Amino acid sequence: MTATVGQAQNPVIRDLFTADPTARVFNGKVYLYPSHDIMPPEGQRQDWFCMEDYHVFSSVNLTDWTDHGVIVSQEKVPWGKPDGYSMWAPDCVEKDGKYYFYFPNGPKSGRGFAIGVAVANSPEGPFTLEPEPIKGVMGIDPCVLLDDDGQQYIYWAGGPMRGARLKGNMKELDGPVTMMEGLPDGFKEGPFAFKRNGLYYLTFPWVRQEKGTETLAYATSNSPLGPWDFKGIIMAEHANRCWTNHHSLVEYKGQWYLFYHTNFFSPKDDKRRSVCIEKLFFNADGTIQEVKQTMRGVGINQATERIEIDRYSSANDVQTAYIDTTNTLRGACVTLLQKGSWVKYDGVDFSCITDGYLVINVMASENTQLCVRENSAKGKVIAKIPVTVKSEQGAFRRDMSGQWLTLTAPLDFTPKGITDLVVTCEGETVSVDWVRFKNRPKYFTEVGKSASSVQPDNQGFIRRWRLMEPIAVDVRSNIIFTNSWLREKFSEELARLPKQKGKWYTLDSENYNVKLFRFAEKYGKQTYGSFFWCETIIECPEDIENVRLACGSNGASMWWLNGEEVLLLEGDRRMVEDDGMSQRLTLKKGRNVLRAAVINGPGLSDMCVRFLDEKGLPVTSFTLVNK
Amino acid sequence: MKHIVYCLLSVVCCQLSICKAQVGAPYIHDPSTIAECEGKYYTFGTGGGGLISEDGWSWHSGAERPGGGAAPDVMKISERYLCVYGATGGGLGGGHNGRILTMWNKTLDPKSPDFKWSKAIEVASSDGMEDQDAIDPSLLLDPTTGRLWCSYGTYFGTIRLIELDPKTGERVKGNVEKDIAIDCEATDLLYRNGWYYLLGTHGTCCDGVNSTYNIVVGRAKNVEGPYFDNVGRDMFHGGGKMVIAAGDRKAGPGHFGRTIIDEGVEVMSCHFEADFDLSGRSTLGILPLLWKNDWPVAGERFKGGTFEIESERRGYSLELAVDFVRMEQERQRFWQIDPNEPVKVLPNQKLEDVVENWPKGEIPVRCSDYMFRPWQRWTITPVPEAGGYLGGPYFRIVIEGTERALTATANLEVTTTPSFTGTPEQLWRIEQLTDGTYRIMPKAIPGQEGLNTRFVLYSIADSTPTLAPYDFNIDNSKWNFRSH
Repeated sequence: MTATVGQAQNPVIRDLFTADPTARVFNGKVYLYPSHDIMPPEGQRQDWFCMEDYHVFSSVNLTDWTDHGVIVSQEKVPWGKPDGYSMWAPDCVEKDGKYYFYFPNGPKSGRGFAIGVAVANSPEGPFTLEPEPIKGVMGIDPCVLLDDDGQQYIYWAGGPMRGARLKGNMKELDGPVTMMEGLPDGFKEGPFAFKRNGLYYLTFPWVRQEKGTETLAYATSNSPLGPWDFKGIIMAEHANRCWTNHHSLVEYKGQWYLFYHTNFFSPKDDKRRSVCIEKLFFNADGTIQEVKQTMRGVGINQATERIEIDRYSSANDVQTAYIDTTNTLRGACVTLLQKGSWVKYDGVDFSCITDGYLVINVMASENTQLCVRENSAKGKVIAKIPVTVKSEQGAFRRDMSGQWLTLTAPLDFTPKGITDLVVTCEGETVSVDWVRFKNRPKYFTEVGKSASSVQPDNQGFIRRWRLMEPIAVDVRSNIIFTNSWLREKFSEELARLPKQKGKWYTLDSENYNVKLFRFAEKYGKQTYGSFFWCETIIECPEDIENVRLACGSNGASMWWLNGEEVLLLEGDRRMVEDDGMSQRLTLKKGRNVLRAAVINGPGLSDMCVRFLDEKGLPVTSFTLVNK
Repeated sequence: MKHIVYCLLSVVCCQLSICKAQVGAPYIHDPSTIAECEGKYYTFGTGGGGLISEDGWSWHSGAERPGGGAAPDVMKISERYLCVYGATGGGLGGGHNGRILTMWNKTLDPKSPDFKWSKAIEVASSDGMEDQDAIDPSLLLDPTTGRLWCSYGTYFGTIRLIELDPKTGERVKGNVEKDIAIDCEATDLLYRNGWYYLLGTHGTCCDGVNSTYNIVVGRAKNVEGPYFDNVGRDMFHGGGKMVIAAGDRKAGPGHFGRTIIDEGVEVMSCHFEADFDLSGRSTLGILPLLWKNDWPVAGERFKGGTFEIESERRGYSLELAVDFVRMEQERQRFWQIDPNEPVKVLPNQKLEDVVENWPKGEIPVRCSDYMFRPWQRWTITPVPEAGGYLGGPYFRIVIEGTERALTATANLEVTTTPSFTGTPEQLWRIEQLTDGTYRIMPKAIPGQEGLNTRFVLYSIADSTPTLAPYDFNIDNSKWNFRSH
C-alpha cells in the first residue's frame, strides 16, 4: 500500500495517529519511522498506549508524506506476544546497504519489554524479523548510533538509560552495558543519540518538575557512552499537559529538524499522538536553540496543495477549534472573528499556478466576505471571496448558514514564486478550514497570425476555429429551438453579421469538442444565453467528393459550406458525436469556408465537427489555415 | 362532511387507478433503485424523503432521508443500507460545487427502533469551476469482484466514476476519479452477463409535459469504460442507445434503476417528468426490463385486453377443454372459383354459437392449435382492489364475454370456474420476462399459506397446462399474449 497522506502543517500525518518519530535520511529522502497509536480494541486497557504495528513514511520535501504501509506487525514477531499492543518507539539505521529496524515489544513469556530487529534491503522493507530479540537488553525506545569510526552503539530506556556497543552484525551486544552518567534527576526515556562536529549528543524526554510532564532535553559528551554533560532543554513541556513527548533530530538538505509529537488530533486522550516537525538551530558552540512548537510546521506548500489555514504562522483576532469534536482527525478550523481579523500562512509556492483560481472551504452564519492577500493584512489582493449564505433570489432560495461550503473565486493577481498568504475578514465572522489553488484546464491555444496550418485530428475533428465573442440572446430553455424559430433567428443574425463588431479569436481546441462555454467565459463573459459565430478555412489539395459534414452541438446550430446552408441541428439537443449529417458534399480544391452559428440557453455549450467519407471514415486529407 | 369527501375521492382514485402507472401517491423525482427492507419496498428521491410500498404496486410517501440534495441511490450491502446522495451543486442556488456523500442505516423503516442514518461522509466533490457537477450519484457493487463503484455528474461537464469501500462507504484510498461520459445526468451503473452498463438520462428535465428527458445506455467490458453504444460511439462523445423515452401518456423518463425479482424477471424504475393522467406530475414508473442482444430495453406495462394466451413451448393456445365446434361454410372448390364473383366476409365463431354446449360447472383447460374460437379467447382485466406486486396489479383472466375465470387448484393444476369471485386463486400476477415473454402466476394456491411466488402456469406437455415451479430456462414457464 502506498498513499500520499500528509501535508506540511503540523501534525504532518493526518489520517492515523503517529508518535515517537524517528526520522532518518536514506538515499536523499527523509524516512519517518513512528509508533502507530490506535484506539484500544475491546479487552485492552482503554486509557493506555496501544500499538499493534509500524508504518513507514517518506518525503522529499517534508510536506508530501507517502505512507508505505505496515512494515512490522505484532502477530508476525516470532518472539513477541501477538496481542501485546506494545510496539513502542522504534528506530531504523542503514549499515552496508542493509536496513536494520529496531523496535520494543512484549515478549511471549515474561514481563516487560525486549528489543527486536528486522532487516531489509530497502528502507521501505519488506523487513525480515529476527527469530529472537537482542540478548541482554530489557527495555524500550531503542536508538542506534553509527559512529564515523565504523563502530555502532545502541541506547535504550525503561529504567535508567543505558547504552552498549553493538556487534557488526547489528543484532548482538558487544561488551558490557553502560549506565548513562551525568544526566539530571527526574524521569527520562526515549534516548536519541547522534554525533555532530565530533561531539556526541544524547537527547531525551525528561520530566524536570515534580508532577510535571515531559520536556525534550539534551546532554553532550566527547565519548559515545558518556559520561554526559547536561546542557538543557530543546523543547519545553506541552502547553496542554500531554504527558509524553518523543523525538529525533535529523539534518536534511543543510537544515536541522526536530521531529516530535503532540496529541493535537486527540485532545482528550494523550495516548493518541501525532507527529510534528520544526526547524532546529545549533549555536556556534554546539548548544541547541530551544525550539517552539508551531502549528505551521516546516516546508514550503505548493499553492495547489490543500493548505490547512488553521495551522497558521501568525494571526490577529482569531480562534481555532476542532471542526468535529467527535472526530478530531477531521482537523481544526480558524474563525476570523470580525472585520480586520487575519491569519498568515508562510511559505506557499505559486510557481505551479498558470491559470489559477482559488478554492476555499468556509462557514458563516451571515453573508460576509474574505480576501486572500499577499504577505500582509494590507497586502495585494490575490482573490476576493464573497460568502453568500442567505440568498433572497432565485427559485432555489437556500439558507446555507452554519454549513461548510466549498467556494471558488477567480484570481485578481497571481503571486510569483514563494510568498506568504494572508486571509483577511472583510465583513462578518467567518470560519475557514482550508484553501487551495487550482489551475484551469487548458481549453484553447491562441493561434498567432504566422502559425502554420494544421490537419484535423486523427478522428477527423476540426479543432482550429475563428470564434467571435458570443452575442447575448434571451434563451432560457432550449425547447424554444424549433425549426421556424431557428431559421428566423439565424437569418436575422446572418444579415447582421457584416456589421457585428464582436472580436474574433483564432484558437486551437485542446479537445475534440470545441468548448464554446469556456471560450465565452474567457473571452466574452456571455456563458449562458449566447450565440456563437464560428468559422474555419479548409484548404484541399484537390476536390474531395462525396463527403458529409458530421456535427454535434449544444445547443442548436446551423452550418454553411462556401455560403450554402448544409445542415441544421434543431430542437433540444446535446453535443453528440455525428449527431446530424449533411447531404453528400464536395470540398473543392483550394479554399473552402465552413461557417457555423451555435445558439444555446442553459448548459455547457460546445460542438464537435468533422467530415466523413462514404464509408463513414473521417476525412483528414485537408488542412485548416489562418485567414 | 370532510370525511365524506375523502371517501368519495378514494373511490374515484381506485377507479382511475385501472389505467394508472402506480396507485397511491407515487410522486417523486429521481427515484433511487428500489430497495427491499423487511418485506417493504423503498425508493428515495431528490430533496429528501421518498416513497414506501407494502406490495410494490401502491406507493405513498413516508420514507425518510436527511441531507436533501439531488438524486440519491440506496443499496443493501451485507445487512446494512448504504445511501449515496449529492448535496448542493446541480446549478441549484447558482453553483456547480457539489458534494457526494454516503451514509448507512440498518433499516429503511422510519418506524423501526434501529432506524438511524450514520453521519454522512463526503466521497467526492466538484469545486464549481471545473467541468463537473458532483451530484446524481449511483452505486454498483460489482458481483465479479466485490468492488463498489459510484458514478455521478450532470450535463455540466462529465460523468465520473469513483471507487468506494463497501465496508465503510468511504472513498478507496488513492482512488482517482475517471471521466466516463458526457451529456447526461442521473446515471446508473449495472453489471450483467460480462458487460458493464452505464445508463444516463438525456434531454431536459423539469419542464412538465414538455420535458424531453429520456434514458440511454452504453456498455463496456471494463467498469472503467469506455462505454460504447450500439453503433460504437463512446458515451464520452455523447453516444447512447435509447432504453426508454416518452410514451403511454407519460413524458420524460429519467433516473434509471434496475431491480431483479427472479431469474429473467427484472423491472426498471424511473420517474416520469409528467404523467398525463396525474395532472402532469412527476411520478414513479416501474416497467418490465427486457434484454435484447445484451442491450436493456424498457418493456411495456401490461394493461390487459383480450388475447390468445400462447405457450412459448410449442405455440399452442390455452383453451377450455370443450368440444371443437365446426363452423358452417359454403365451400368453393378451388378449381371452380369464379374470380369475378364478389368475395364475402366470414364472421368469427360467436360465443353464443358454442356456449350453450359447455358444461355449467368447472371446465378444465388444455392447450391446442389457435383457431380464434371463443374457448380460446381470454379477457384479462386488472383488479385494483386486489393489490399488486412490484410494478403491476393482479388480474382476472376470463373467457371473453363470460365470467368463466382461470383458477388455480389445491392439487397444483389449473381449471376454470363459472364465475369470478375475486378469491386469490383467481387472481393472476403477470410479469413480462427479460426475453419479452410472460410468466403468469396465481396470487395464492388453495391450501398453501401466504402469497404464491413459486408456481406459474406451465406447459407440462404440448397440450397440457398445469402449475409448476417457475424456471426461466425452460420455455414451459413462458407465455405470450397475442391479440389476433
